Amino acid sequence: MAGVRLEGIYKKYPGSDKASVTDVNLDIKDKEFLVLVGPSGCGKSTTLRMIAGLEEISEGKLYIGDRLVNDVAPKDRDIAMVFQSYALYPHMNVYQNMAFGLKLRKFKKADIDKRVREAAKILDIEHLLDRKPKALSGGQRQRVALGRAIVREPQVFLMDEPLSNLDAKLRGQMRAEISKLTKRLETTTIYVTHDQIEAMTMGDRIVVMKDGFIQQTASPEELYNHPKNIFVAGFIGAPSMNFISGTLSEKGGSVYFKASGVDVLVPEGKAASLRSKGYIGKEVILGIRPEDLHEEPVFMEASPNTIVNANVEVAENLGHEMYLYLNGIGTDTVIARVDGRSTIRDGVSVKLALDMNKAHLFDKESELNIFEN
Amino acid sequence: MSKTDWFKPLQQILNCPIHAVTKTIAEWKDIVSANEAAPKPKQGLIPYVGQTADHNGTIWFVAGYNDSIVELLEIDRPTLLTTEKELISWTLQLNEQSPLHAKSGTASDTERSAKKLGEWIQRQLEADEPAYSLPDHLMIGNRLYNEMIPFLLVTEHTNAKQTAYAELEKLLKSFLSDDVLLIPLKNQEWLIWGPSSLLKDEDLDAFDEQEEESIEESLASIAIGLHEMLASEWIGECQLAVAHPATPANSLVETAILLRETINLGRKFHVGTNIHLPWMLQLERLLNSIPESQRTKYLEQSLKRTDLFVESEMLGTLETFFALDCNVSETAKKLYIHRNTLLYRLDKLKQETGLDVRLFRDAVLVKIILLLYKVTKRN
Repeated sequence: MAGVRLEGIYKKYPGSDKASVTDVNLDIKDKEFLVLVGPSGCGKSTTLRMIAGLEEISEGKLYIGDRLVNDVAPKDRDIAMVFQSYALYPHMNVYQNMAFGLKLRKFKKADIDKRVREAAKILDIEHLLDRKPKALSGGQRQRVALGRAIVREPQVFLMDEPLSNLDAKLRGQMRAEISKLTKRLETTTIYVTHDQIEAMTMGDRIVVMKDGFIQQTASPEELYNHPKNIFVAGFIGAPSMNFISGTLSEKGGSVYFKASGVDVLVPEGKAASLRSKGYIGKEVILGIRPEDLHEEPVFMEASPNTIVNANVEVAENLGHEMYLYLNGIGTDTVIARVDGRSTIRDGVSVKLALDMNKAHLFDKESELNIFEN
Repeated sequence: MSKTDWFKPLQQILNCPIHAVTKTIAEWKDIVSANEAAPKPKQGLIPYVGQTADHNGTIWFVAGYNDSIVELLEIDRPTLLTTEKELISWTLQLNEQSPLHAKSGTASDTERSAKKLGEWIQRQLEADEPAYSLPDHLMIGNRLYNEMIPFLLVTEHTNAKQTAYAELEKLLKSFLSDDVLLIPLKNQEWLIWGPSSLLKDEDLDAFDEQEEESIEESLASIAIGLHEMLASEWIGECQLAVAHPATPANSLVETAILLRETINLGRKFHVGTNIHLPWMLQLERLLNSIPESQRTKYLEQSLKRTDLFVESEMLGTLETFFALDCNVSETAKKLYIHRNTLLYRLDKLKQETGLDVRLFRDAVLVKIILLLYKVTKRN
């Protein structure tokens, strides 16, 4: 097994004046499960394809283990890939599909058989070994594609949206299975997805990308609780973080955040940082996650200086939780996530308290998180 | 046999001096253009081994060539008989002994035959009036008379070493079957003929509930599998086109023309796609035949109405919507958005452009606008 190191990697396509991937630096540790996440066109797949050797690297160095592999062909990089299309070889049965890569590498028949059967057992596809891909369901095909990668026992697994062609239920199942599998095999894995649930649940670390640039690399918890900028804050979390434009002001030794319908106290720890960075009197953006708006009386009693009034446009009850779409807090709709047993209904006025200890403030110009930079 | 082995006997037979000379491609073209004795060759001005030209009493035979120079046998005997000329030309074609063909000494018979076949196809592709039937001396046994599946493979990596024929052939044989014909065309461009037996699937009889797959679907899945294999087990990304099965002996040139056009259209209209299917590019072919100025004019008129068509979110939405046959629910699912969000986007487009892509008539227009936009925005 091996780590993967990207040093100043760029990808520029001929005829394009803008790089698709810009100055990507990553040190992926041996056995780590790293997820590249971001909206379409952010450069995550291109980065993965450069690691795979499918795309040439325009600039920078790529190491797998200690070996510089910029000019090494994909077949010689000791990696195994699983893609969204899970393009199985249609004229071969499942066994042959899984054995093909080993056959090419001149493995002995007995070794091939052992590896294929072991992988089939792990993936619970032993009974499908004689079938052709056409006779398999989507989930079974995806398992075969994984099997084809596993038998190679590579140094690194590269997976590009491998679950996106599966239905929601199967995706959930396979998500857990891939996590279990990579832990069991102890193989370094780089996984590309646009699905933040996959990113948050599978990754040891997550790399959030936008427009070819890395926005932040951190553990799922760190990303969720300490986003470095508005993009990361808005991208991670569903429903996404609420953003309210407003101004910071000081009154009686305390700092307040004011916006349309909002006048809330900023906790002293944060206020001190804002003062020292010269943000008092300036416009900022408040970021607050839906679960940090509270309707419970106990919380409101404890936070009388962070209460806001709002009108419930829509109340969506999902059973275990309820989403309130609120007007009156800033200029845009704000979403609050409250208990599913709440009695709040569409059209009513409510009072909610903002948990300002968990709120974020972003610089209006740079969009950077004031407390995290 | 090296050049020195046959040079002297040839001089004795013809009873005149023979010189080995080298000319640039441009010089050779001038000689061919000024050829007094023979009409302009059908293949145009591109050199080929065995090609002859007469000028001012000197006769030249092409013994070899590359991208910049032509290696020639120069004979100063204006009275050389036509049959003698044909014999020399034929001999040269059979034995490409030029130092420029140094590799041929180590190449297998199959590779040499395939290379000659490739050169002949290439000449036809560049000729004004290509010959569609294969000359007898290029026939490789009976295999060219079997129906086979044609693929055209173009590799992408600019810094990749020139791939060895033997390596690729071996890989294809392992993957498809021993009955594979690999013909090198241009640098990093290969015409591959695979057995049509790939389309027959006896094993599937056991699964009666399976829907019958069309031949196009089968060809597409073979191409996807082949592309995946080549990308991961060879030198990385490549472009691949596939066409309906045909008999190589009768259709080498037509197939190469079709597949090359398919890859060109695919690359032009669908950047980022690596597998190109001629039956999926019919509208693109039609649009490509419209003069550039008219295409640009039409697009300018359409885009004037709105910027919506150039917004990446709208582009992505419409492409998915069309790919899923204008199915609203499926498109929303694929894009991970709520159905109402998709309907909102489509309504917004309707409001700004007057085009409702849920109606067939408008969907066709928008599809054309999107295709034209993709081509012209890169110009």
